[in-house]
Amino acid sequence: MSLFGPPGGRPQDDAASAARQAAWDEALTRGTVPAFVKQRLAETMSGKRPWVTTASPAGLLAQRSHGIRPLGLVSGNCWFQFGYSWTRGHYEGWHTALDRLRLEAGLMGANAVVDVTLSVRRMPGTENEGHMDYGVVGTAVRLDGLPESTNPAIATVSALEFARLLESGIVPVGLAIGAHYDWFVATGYQAANAASFWNQEIAPLSSFLTRVRRQALQELRDDGVRLGSGVLAHTQHTELYRVEPDENNPYVRFLARYIALGTAVLHDSRSLRPFGVRPVMNVRDSRLLAATDTTKEVL
Amino acid sequence: MTDTAADLPQHARERLQGLRDTSRRGGIFTSDFSVNEFLMVSEAGFEPLGLVVGSCIYHTGIQYAGWAKNQEMAVLSQAMYEARELAMTRMEQEAQSLSADGVVGVRLEVKRMEWDRDILEFLAIGTAIAHSKGHPGFKGPEGKPFTSDLSGQDLWMLLQSGYRPLALVMGSCVYHVAHQGMFQSLGNVGRNVEMPLFTQAMYDARELAMERMQKEAQEAGAEGVVAVQLHEGSHNWQPHVIEFFAIGTAVKPIEDAAVIPERLIPQIVIPVND
Repeated sequence: MSLFGPPGGRPQDDAASAARQAAWDEALTRGTVPAFVKQRLAETMSGKRPWVTTASPAGLLAQRSHGIRPLGLVSGNCWFQFGYSWTRGHYEGWHTALDRLRLEAGLMGANAVVDVTLSVRRMPGTENEGHMDYGVVGTAVRLDGLPESTNPAIATVSALEFARLLESGIVPVGLAIGAHYDWFVATGYQAANAASFWNQEIAPLSSFLTRVRRQALQELRDDGVRLGSGVLAHTQHTELYRVEPDENNPYVRFLARYIALGTAVLHDSRSLRPFGVRPVMNVRDSRLLAATDTTKEVL
Repeated sequence: MTDTAADLPQHARERLQGLRDTSRRGGIFTSDFSVNEFLMVSEAGFEPLGLVVGSCIYHTGIQYAGWAKNQEMAVLSQAMYEARELAMTRMEQEAQSLSADGVVGVRLEVKRMEWDRDILEFLAIGTAIAHSKGHPGFKGPEGKPFTSDLSGQDLWMLLQSGYRPLALVMGSCVYHVAHQGMFQSLGNVGRNVEMPLFTQAMYDARELAMERMQKEAQEAGAEGVVAVQLHEGSHNWQPHVIEFFAIGTAVKPIEDAAVIPERLIPQIVIPVND
């Protein structure tokens, strides 16, 4: 192999590369994926190419016991510029990425996508330019006995937890997102709070942060209502910054953002099946973790 | 470097010899197993032989990408793949000379060197194991030891679910993401819009990495790939150059009826202490 020049096995052909780009451009504009992706998904679905799963081998047991069969990895992403609204940006960015993931899963006839992980990505050197990538990856699965689906359920839980929910009569149906971002201009804040010697609440900030959280949780709820009857929210994250005055802004400002993500479920609390509790020893070293446990990955 | 197990240096052979022959004075096994892992590997019918290792220090070639173009950096993709492959092959050689059936708990690491951004170290390390009763049906492709990044517990679990590991399979794609033109950037100031060039670059790079991993599994004769992880990183490259790396264990159903485990019905448990 030559180090300096196009490698032999995989020629870097400019024309082929340009054709690939054009295919992506055309497909994403039309809300689909290029022919070569469709082919890979179809061949994976039919068993011509190996199936792929993010699950550990324990997940394969669920295939025998619960008829949850892995198909392949599906993904979606959306690089979004939030010019005027971080809140809208987060909402649209995540939902576009999820729609694309759902599309790939639908092309495989999947009934659900489990173990969906979310992550954001910023381009090095452009961290403050107000744009980032919203990416989602998960494992498309078929449930034995169900017909192929074009609108699969999306869940951040693993195949095993998916099975656990189903066993209890709870159906995971999608991903609910609540995100809110707001500014607070602290007029009069300095005079009222900065120079005191006694304990006191900084009431304006408390109410500001509470409002941001409540609005995000309201959005989470609204998103949940559209999808199912409940949300198991497992990722929540808040940030609060103080920004000093500058020539355009005479007052100290505060910036708060809050994001909450969760799996939306459909259930009827009257028909929840009870189960016995029995002590066991866990032979895994690590805990079984939720898909997105580290909140810094989603902000 | 060496190509076959027979070419390993004397000191490596002595070390490996000492590991394999537990009946001999001073013959022991080494591993980086935890207690649970050790117990579960034994439960699965295997015994650890020794830690096996392979490394490769690699100087990556030079490639320039068009400023405003999305494109794969094929030279870098190939470098990242080949260097990992070399480290893995060297680890496999050690395992082969131990007459191991496979290597579990393989960790594949990339480290960059302080003094030169084009030099990377690739390390593959894992624990070689052999079937305690010498069952021949667990070897990987071409009769070589199988490789897997699964832990001892996961190996047991995999066998319980009726599959055996074949090989650690991977796919790599180093990609240059186009820079946005000045006019395009200015035109979008203050707007909430998707940036399609960036979106497409991520899509394409991820697709290539996944497709390559799947192809490698297909060539190994696998039915599927478990515990797949998708990593991305920039190994000290210029901005806008990123690597997508897909890795997982290719598996195949166990053919030999004699070793097919009894049907295990998983019982769903809820840990009450987390």
